[in-house]
Amino acid sequence: MSMHVIRPGLQTTIQAGPRRRLRHLGIPAAGAADPLSLALANRLVGNAPEAAGLEITLYGPVLDVDAPAMVAVTGADVAVRVNGEEHPLHESFALRAGDRLEIGACSRGARSYLAVGGAFAAVAEFGSVSTYMPAALGGLDGRALRAGDRLDVAGRPPKAGNAATPSEFRPVFTDAWALRACPGAEAGQLGTGTLAVLTGTNWTVGRRADRMGLELTGALLAVESAGRMPSAPVFPGTLQCPGDGTPFLLGIDAQTTGGYPRVLQVARCDRHLLGQLRPGDRLRLLLREPAAAVADLRDKHAYFARWLPDIASVV
Amino acid sequence: MAEQAPDVPRLCGDDLVTVAVAGAAAAGRLAAVLREDPTWLEAVPGLATVVARFDATVTDPRTACERLGRALAAGAPQAATEAPPVRVPVRYGGVDGPDLEAICRELGLTRDAFVAAHTSGWYRVAMLGFTPGFAYVSGLDERLSVGRLERPRQRVPAGSVGIAGAWTGLYALAGPGGWPLIGRTPLRLFDPAGEEPFRLAPGQRIRFEAIGRDEDAAP
Repeated sequence: MSMHVIRPGLQTTIQAGPRRRLRHLGIPAAGAADPLSLALANRLVGNAPEAAGLEITLYGPVLDVDAPAMVAVTGADVAVRVNGEEHPLHESFALRAGDRLEIGACSRGARSYLAVGGAFAAVAEFGSVSTYMPAALGGLDGRALRAGDRLDVAGRPPKAGNAATPSEFRPVFTDAWALRACPGAEAGQLGTGTLAVLTGTNWTVGRRADRMGLELTGALLAVESAGRMPSAPVFPGTLQCPGDGTPFLLGIDAQTTGGYPRVLQVARCDRHLLGQLRPGDRLRLLLREPAAAVADLRDKHAYFARWLPDIASVV
Repeated sequence: MAEQAPDVPRLCGDDLVTVAVAGAAAAGRLAAVLREDPTWLEAVPGLATVVARFDATVTDPRTACERLGRALAAGAPQAATEAPPVRVPVRYGGVDGPDLEAICRELGLTRDAFVAAHTSGWYRVAMLGFTPGFAYVSGLDERLSVGRLERPRQRVPAGSVGIAGAWTGLYALAGPGGWPLIGRTPLRLFDPAGEEPFRLAPGQRIRFEAIGRDEDAAP
């Protein structure tokens, strides 16, 4: 079974689980920027939570289908049409040979996920098929889809009937976010009052917003030693403060080391939301002690485990 | 001289713990030891720190700090072998090193004096990091020390050579970058399909060589 790319969308990539245990070599994680939404899509078609799906950024693709397949779309609110007929998110549906699947513009949130029963085929590099565009790893030649590409299904589709995500497990997206965060390694270098600026500002996501990170505007931070720090490890969710005082929140493709002070670290429980922030969205940062953030993580796991038993391997 | 007391590991996130070490070599050794322990999902060296990530649903944050402290106290073996030295050809200045002129002005050096200083002496690959194949190289003449860019570039070309503080950095890939750029090497530093994807290894000695605009050096 395969799908032909008629229109690629703004930036549509094959994403699965992250690359693990390779950051010491400079190999970033990659993988779904919102791994919870990918897992929810995979759940509906009977795939493993980290099976390879399509990550759709802001504006989706048009795909022609040449054989029957079961698919589901989750994540950012988006119009899904088959031969012009609309299909809701969070419900699996069958495609037949000759169908045209059209995915429109995301209205809330930045990324939607398309899963297909059996998962999309891609070559694993450094332990994952996830696309990491800066080094052209994984996915389809390590790049975003182009018109004319062909997408194949990797394995035998699992036997899965129609399924729908129960409403209480459907994440609700917004344009005004709150992310929990813990003090970062250089939080101690923040000048008096700067921490209050960090947590008190209603930030706006800037135009520089992609899988590597999000620029935040709305205030400038005064940080000692900015720009003169020996390079140190950074991770998805690290909030860096470059010398010009504009904070930069690292995403799933985050580089592995950086030389700017690491002032906050988005807590693991909310890192999956980093992939849904888009330019112009508002963001508040909520300071948490690490122990409290771990308790929040356990709560989130316990909540989603009723629908996604493997939630702890995803979020 | 009294030995400095080891740093105490501390949390820098709800699943991250950091500790300061003496330098890049010590960081590399400690991180390698940690990677043998399944407690750590990642153990990443910096130039003067190690950060290790743990699964907070398995190991609570306080235990993680204690475990990192014990590994630090136990010490780490010296690296067994060192890769053979390699020369790194660089086209200095111009479109390849767009910040070289400004750096020379800031440092009060002519372009030729800068290039002569940067190509004299041996350097050492302190660590790989940032993006695949990016090499942090120690051994920069302290007269050549400058700060990072106030505002990182969104895209620098693959092979770009930058400097910041006491370091020379080699950008293996095109991508964002915050180091002022002095030149560019035609050497392919990262080849994912290659038998050995990384051209340079931590600990390896290197030497920079100035080449002309149209010269292409064999890797």
